[in-house]
Amino acid sequence: MLIEFTLWFAIFRGVHQLSIGGYAREYYLSYVLWAAFVARITSSWMYEFKMIEEVDSGSINGLLVRPMTFYEYYLSQLLGYKLITSVLSLIFPITVAYLWHLPTDFSRLPLALLLVTYFLILVHTISYCVTGVAFFINKVHSLTVAKNLGLWLLSGELFPLDLLPPFWRHILLNLPFSSAVYVPVGFVTGRVGISDVLQGFYSVTLGIVFFALLGNLLWTKGMRDYTGTGA
Amino acid sequence: MIAIRTTALTRVYETYEKSDGIWNSIRGFWDRKNIQKIALQPTTLEIQRGQIVGLVGANGAGKTTLLKLLSGLIHPSGGDAEVLGYRPWERKNEFLRRMSVLLGQKNQLWWDLAPADSFDLLARIYDLDRRLAKQRVQELATLMDCTQVLKVQLRRLSLGERMKMEIIGALLHEPDVLFLDEPTIGLDVVAQNAIRQFLTEYVKNKRPTVILTSHYMDDIAKLADRLLLISRGGLVYDGTVDGFIGKTESTQQIRFRYDSPLTDDLRVTSDEVLKKGAQEFQFRIQTKQLSEVVKTITGFGTVHDLKIEEADFEEVIRQFLETESRVQPSRNTH
Amino acid sequence: MKKYVELYWAFFRASFIADMEFRANFLTRILTDIFWYVAQVGSFEVFYQFTPKIGDWGRAETRVFLGILFVVDAIYMVMFNENLDQLPEKVRRGQLDLLLAKPVNSQFMLSLQKANTAILGNFILGASWLVWALLQRPDFSWWRTLWLLVLIPCGVCIFYCVRFLFATTSVMFTKAENIQYLWYQIYRLGMRPDSIYVPWMRVLILSIVPVGIIASVPARFLLEAPNYPMLLWAIFLAGFALFLSSRFWLYALGKYSSASS
Repeated sequence: MLIEFTLWFAIFRGVHQLSIGGYAREYYLSYVLWAAFVARITSSWMYEFKMIEEVDSGSINGLLVRPMTFYEYYLSQLLGYKLITSVLSLIFPITVAYLWHLPTDFSRLPLALLLVTYFLILVHTISYCVTGVAFFINKVHSLTVAKNLGLWLLSGELFPLDLLPPFWRHILLNLPFSSAVYVPVGFVTGRVGISDVLQGFYSVTLGIVFFALLGNLLWTKGMRDYTGTGA
Repeated sequence: MIAIRTTALTRVYETYEKSDGIWNSIRGFWDRKNIQKIALQPTTLEIQRGQIVGLVGANGAGKTTLLKLLSGLIHPSGGDAEVLGYRPWERKNEFLRRMSVLLGQKNQLWWDLAPADSFDLLARIYDLDRRLAKQRVQELATLMDCTQVLKVQLRRLSLGERMKMEIIGALLHEPDVLFLDEPTIGLDVVAQNAIRQFLTEYVKNKRPTVILTSHYMDDIAKLADRLLLISRGGLVYDGTVDGFIGKTESTQQIRFRYDSPLTDDLRVTSDEVLKKGAQEFQFRIQTKQLSEVVKTITGFGTVHDLKIEEADFEEVIRQFLETESRVQPSRNTH
Repeated sequence: MKKYVELYWAFFRASFIADMEFRANFLTRILTDIFWYVAQVGSFEVFYQFTPKIGDWGRAETRVFLGILFVVDAIYMVMFNENLDQLPEKVRRGQLDLLLAKPVNSQFMLSLQKANTAILGNFILGASWLVWALLQRPDFSWWRTLWLLVLIPCGVCIFYCVRFLFATTSVMFTKAENIQYLWYQIYRLGMRPDSIYVPWMRVLILSIVPVGIIASVPARFLLEAPNYPMLLWAIFLAGFALFLSSRFWLYALGKYSSASS
């Protein structure tokens, strides 16, 4: 994160003006700070790897007989884990924003975090799809890496998406993935209004429906072909 | 000529006490109790060239530590050792080229390659003539009856086949000293026998110095001409295999059938009498009496289906140690 | 020396055979890295919409820098990455043992035995980007690319050594995940043009944590008049880092206790 800070300092040194895209340097530092925090919440490595491992190793059989679906079981695990780690690590950005007087609208934080939590359901649904692919192909771990990098690109962690040329901005903002970082962080740091947050909830819902359907398709077909040994 | 010599070779592991509970763990972060675990007490021994030494002991007794020290995988905490005139842990290439380690639970061959390709890499690593190496692989594979799997990816082979491949890999450069750690572990009886058979043949022909550890008495009994028993990091027995078994009180189940019922009572041991009229027998005897008993019963009639249950080695060792500790005070230093 | 070259070639071929098993991997690897390239290039393209220069580099210079970064990164990924990433796991599972028993330099075996040939596609991609970026510079003298013959090996070497030092700690401490994370943070320092850093940080990444040599220094040799002291310094650092890594490896092995099973 310090590297990103340095980068923005350097960019502003080069600009010789006080704002980029209508926002002063502090707004970018604040964005970087919150983006680093939020992005860590909305990316899932560990649980996705665990889910894939279950299919690969065949230990999924043990889960299938439980009175809870695989989807629900891991969703509750993921949400529980993220809730605890996020609440604890929230101290860090709050302290930094407070001490350095980085522009942050704390009253907007609860709604932003609600969107982040909602986005986690989408994250999990996508993990569910990737896990479904594991029925057909071995070594899908590399797919996780590719997918997470793709999301990283679309989420707005690298830079605020409103800096993009209009064409790209329009596309990325309408995809649900901007709700991973850009919409909640932009909301807290004052770049994004309430209407965009609501739009975020809406597009995340569409995303969940889309990936849930895809995931179900993969799983029904996968379970039919599944030998149970998972060799 | 002496191949392996150690003088007061010692290895101590330093660990810390793992405490339970979260607060104790946090406290352990700065207030850590260091524990010195003696894996190998000062050990002095000599092994002649061409000797086959069986190294036995319970889990965690220090067999593997001794083996790893002698093959140079780990450094000692004290003492010295010489293998073929080299200090093992200096890992001089000349030394490494003349010895081989086989660890039964790990593979040195490449998982994603066919054994033949792996052997080719090994030939380069050991600077062997690649044509000769290929020939040698064929010879060894023929002896073990597994030429057909040489071109199959290692990951697709069964455990037994894989072990055979590992053995070929370990013998490819004709080592003068061979460290075999559990070469038959986890294999089924057929594969175990095949490997034992092969190793017996091999050492008879090539006369390497071998140190062998195993959980199976049969491995040791068939192959070794000298037995070392390690307990709690210390050497407690050094002698022949038979001498060792003679000292234990382990028992074995024996089962057999005569081709016709006994015509008279037959006393086999002081407390086992075979009753007249019976044809099938099953009883327990002490391992040290085994050869005598077999001689007695075979001398009496034609024996069919003679089955002798294999002695549980862990059990034998446990009993041996019990007997020893009755004779002399425990060597336990803990 | 000849033995090692031949041995590496044999490892490389064997790795290729093994990698061909997982054809899907070639595709996902390239896809992954396309995302990564787009992210790197995209960020800077966006920033340069608003400013002509970041530090003393403009858009065109940064493109060249990224080209070098992609090439060095791909070479590292092909040759070393898989080996060093798996090193902690190998140590934990005790697989180091058999490797140590081989009459070949153990550091060599450990660092180079598995090439990741699935990344070769990325190398081609990265190199193409570099060539394209250089073609955009009207007055570029292609003779300058000869510097890369010296400087890219130096960059790869330093990249490797720093990573190796971090990976080696796993031989001494069984739990070294956090140290590996620290490595990634340091590498990210080198992933940015050195022009963005304030002077003292620039000194830092060219000396104590020499990740600046990985891409920034070669890029400057392509873009600016050759800086001979810097050339000597880079060569010296690469050699010194290699020396240091082998000393540290031997030291770590002395501490190695081998997995008990």
